[in-house]
Amino acid sequence: MENIKIKTRNLNFYYNKKQALFDISMDIPEKKVTALIGPSGCGKSTFLRTLNRMNDLIEDIKVEGDIFIDGVNIYKDNIDVVELRKRVGMIFQKSNPFPKSIYDNVAYGPRIQGIKDKTTLDEIVERSLRRSALWDEVKDELKKSALMLSGGQQQRLCIARALAIDPEILLMDEPASALDPISTTKIEDLIFELKMNYTIVIVTHNMQQAARVSDYTGFFYMGKLIEFDETRIMFTSPKEKQTEDYITGRFG
Amino acid sequence: MQKHFEQELESLKTNIVKMASIVDEMVENALTALETSDLELCKKIKAKDREIDAYDNLIKTQCENILALFQPFAVDLRFILTSLMVNNQLERCGDIAVNITQRVKPLINHYDLVVESKIIDMVKFSKQMFKEAIDSFINRDLELANKVCGEDNVVDGYNKNIFYYLIDKMKEKHELIEPASHLMILSRHVERLADHSTNIAEDVIFMISAEIVSHKHKLMKWAEKEQSKNQLETEE
Ligand SMILES: Nc1ncnc2c1ncn2[C@@H]1O[C@H](COP(=O)(O)OP(=O)(O)OP(=O)(O)O)[C@@H](O)[C@H]1O
Ligand SMILES: [Mg+2]
Repeated sequence: MENIKIKTRNLNFYYNKKQALFDISMDIPEKKVTALIGPSGCGKSTFLRTLNRMNDLIEDIKVEGDIFIDGVNIYKDNIDVVELRKRVGMIFQKSNPFPKSIYDNVAYGPRIQGIKDKTTLDEIVERSLRRSALWDEVKDELKKSALMLSGGQQQRLCIARALAIDPEILLMDEPASALDPISTTKIEDLIFELKMNYTIVIVTHNMQQAARVSDYTGFFYMGKLIEFDETRIMFTSPKEKQTEDYITGRFG
Repeated sequence: MQKHFEQELESLKTNIVKMASIVDEMVENALTALETSDLELCKKIKAKDREIDAYDNLIKTQCENILALFQPFAVDLRFILTSLMVNNQLERCGDIAVNITQRVKPLINHYDLVVESKIIDMVKFSKQMFKEAIDSFINRDLELANKVCGEDNVVDGYNKNIFYYLIDKMKEKHELIEPASHLMILSRHVERLADHSTNIAEDVIFMISAEIVSHKHKLMKWAEKEQSKNQLETEE
């Protein structure tokens, strides 16, 4: 059995008084890709954001239950949230590079961490861009504005930016939903490469993508985790009728 | 989109049902031809084979299109895979009907031998298995599919009995060697009709329950054998 990297236990989540997650207990294995699927509004993004306490930035929220990363409860008071978010990087649906050069985008995180040495930064930038499969396309124009890149390149730049601070976990919220098939394939190949070193949790509305890239899949519906199993099983013989109806497009 | 998909699945199913009913009719007619020595009917059966080939191609194309365009999962995926497998079995069952007709002429003057050998009963039994296998596919009937799977040994029994009966006959009367040989081959064809029906039923079980039962028995026996072999080795 794999090592469990993230463990949630009886997780409830509320926006104001409105409950968005109900009693989620889930074991996310280390160095695997876990896909989260489910209809719009079922709580996938909310759940993803609980994993690096990104929801803390929203007013009037409440969290109950526990989330452990490497056995440590990340909702305990003494947790350094900045440190946590360094370990748990996040990539969003809409790529959001800073209006700076390609180089400065990737070097942004390391600089904040206090790295000033030029050679060290150069190394980090190159390594991160290589890992995000963008290096060959941009190595001669690192000074160019990131906003000049195509959508697919911008998305890989954001992945490079996340990798630059050397996280252990990558959360991806529909990272390829706005991309053409070629860029999508690149992102998917990249995810496959990255799982050698990172634990990846990805939200996607594309069933085929979930089936292709992930090792485990969780199906969410109305804030509940209906079924969680090996992807192979979820897409061939799920146990719950609701899961089967959803993946075969017979929902509602 | 979903509606379009459902229509495609329905159309695929309809074509399999049509193909199956042609095969069923071919087998039925082959039986009649055998009982009545009707050589004209044999020709008609042979002509039907072309329709089967056309359905075979049509169904393959339909499955390929559905897979490419809709990329189905779970039950839907298993339905397409099963359709392909059933199509394959149906095509062979059609061939068997034709094979049966090829034995009608050589047996024309040996009606007694045909009747006494019980081959007619065997054809009827296998034909019933075929029909039930198809029904289990159409109605997604797990119970019926399981029933068909359990009947294979009945046909094997028929086959064995016919074989030894014919051996005895050949020993008794050398003139019977030729017709008896034809009958033996015929019995082998009919046994394969039952085999294909069992295969269809196994495919239906896979479609319904996602469980692969083909070769299960054989594989389990093999595994047991391996295990006891290993045990012996470790004991030594
Ligand atoms: N900032 C917020 N304030 C209040 N309610 C919110 C907030 N964000 C999300 N919600 C609500 O929480 C529920 C879950 O939303 P969430 O964004 O997690 O769904 P999702 O599964 O990611 O949907 P989608 O597939 O559309 O991205 C929804 O009912 C949504 O309206
Ligand atoms: Mg979302």
